[in-house]
Amino acid sequence: MRAAIIEPIQTSPEACKKEWKFSEIISDPIVRERWEKVRKYFFLRESTYDMTNRCNIRCDGCYYYEGEKQFAEENRDVEAWRALMAAEKKRGITFVVLAGAEPSLVPELCEVCYEEIPLGAIATNGLKLIPRTVNYKIHISVWGNDETSLKTRKAKDMLLRQIENYRRDERAVFVYTFTRDNIQQAAEVVQTLAAHDCKVTFNVFSAPVGYTGGLRHNRLSLESTRNMMITLLNRFPQQVLFSYYNAVAHTHPLSLHGLYGCLYPRMNPAADLGLGRSFRQYRTDLTWDKNAACCVPDTDCADCRHYASGSAVVTAKLYRHAVDPTTFKAWLDYADTYLSVWVTGYAKEPNLCNQLIVVPEK
Amino acid sequence: MSKAIDIEKIILRVAEIMIDELKLEDVTPQTFNPDMDLVDEVGIDSMDLATVALVLRDEYGIRIDEDDYPKLTTIRLISAYIKNKLSA
Repeated sequence: MRAAIIEPIQTSPEACKKEWKFSEIISDPIVRERWEKVRKYFFLRESTYDMTNRCNIRCDGCYYYEGEKQFAEENRDVEAWRALMAAEKKRGITFVVLAGAEPSLVPELCEVCYEEIPLGAIATNGLKLIPRTVNYKIHISVWGNDETSLKTRKAKDMLLRQIENYRRDERAVFVYTFTRDNIQQAAEVVQTLAAHDCKVTFNVFSAPVGYTGGLRHNRLSLESTRNMMITLLNRFPQQVLFSYYNAVAHTHPLSLHGLYGCLYPRMNPAADLGLGRSFRQYRTDLTWDKNAACCVPDTDCADCRHYASGSAVVTAKLYRHAVDPTTFKAWLDYADTYLSVWVTGYAKEPNLCNQLIVVPEK
Repeated sequence: MSKAIDIEKIILRVAEIMIDELKLEDVTPQTFNPDMDLVDEVGIDSMDLATVALVLRDEYGIRIDEDDYPKLTTIRLISAYIKNKLSA
């Protein structure tokens, strides 16, 4: 299947017509209802944790095996992790992201995290089932069809094995990462996942610092990616957790950093508020470094289009998007997508803005 | 009307908006200490502040710059910010 030709990104039809009051924007009952739904989750405060320095596969462009963090010693003491989580809770962390290198290899540590902080997500390659008692969202990384996975991840039958482990698992969201080389393959992969009633969202490959491989996007591949995202969103609206505005934000020639700035401590010196204040990225030895603290450490900020980063960075720009009804609906779709991907029990609603609109300026 | 009275009125209105929007309990506009640190002592964060900023935009017709949020950590600081914008 080829992607359909998608309308270009356009200015919101209501932009510049007048200065909209926020009360006018949310006077539409559907908008108000969605706003009330998403704002209930403003209490989420995230931090991320590398769980182990081991992985059962090796992928080209893997961010974990870049930089210093991969050399941190592993702390496998369950009680040390319990104490860390208790301390995290005490300083206000309400949401944990368990990542690097492969958390499914340390299920006992995942269990402890869940016992202490019950909201969170785990990034996994999906080859080993994480116990169902850990009721976090499980993000299963997919980087193309099985032929491509074999080439870039050196693992056979990945999709098949991932689906076997996680079909009919409410926790699971398959995260298809678009690289420069796998854009067309997304159609067959998403079709397969949809046939097994698996939920899918999209990520865009964001090159690690110094990366010179062939997966890095260019302007043309970003445009093709956007078209494919929209095509698949329209074709599989029940399975694809995404929105038109997600597609704009993550395939723009400017990175997320260029469009929205970044709030993570690595790039944000202000420590008074929000992520700059509370976010930490722990290594496997349970230390953290403010200068490296980011949800995707060692990613080249000028190329960052990562779904995890966007979930925080775009959502935080609430004020900027409350300029007219269409732009605000686009932001609500983004927030609704983010919550459905990351928060257990949050169900995605139908998108409110089905057009590609420009990112509002600061 | 003196400047002091103006800022006190703004303080009361900002406190009222904050209580309504964030559903704060056990506090009234009159008892809300305007010098209390909103982040450390009240427990609100950036998304809450953005929500309040939108309501303040409607109320006073002023724009609160994203970069200014970290400076607005008390009701008095928010009120002074509004006053400055209105006087500009």
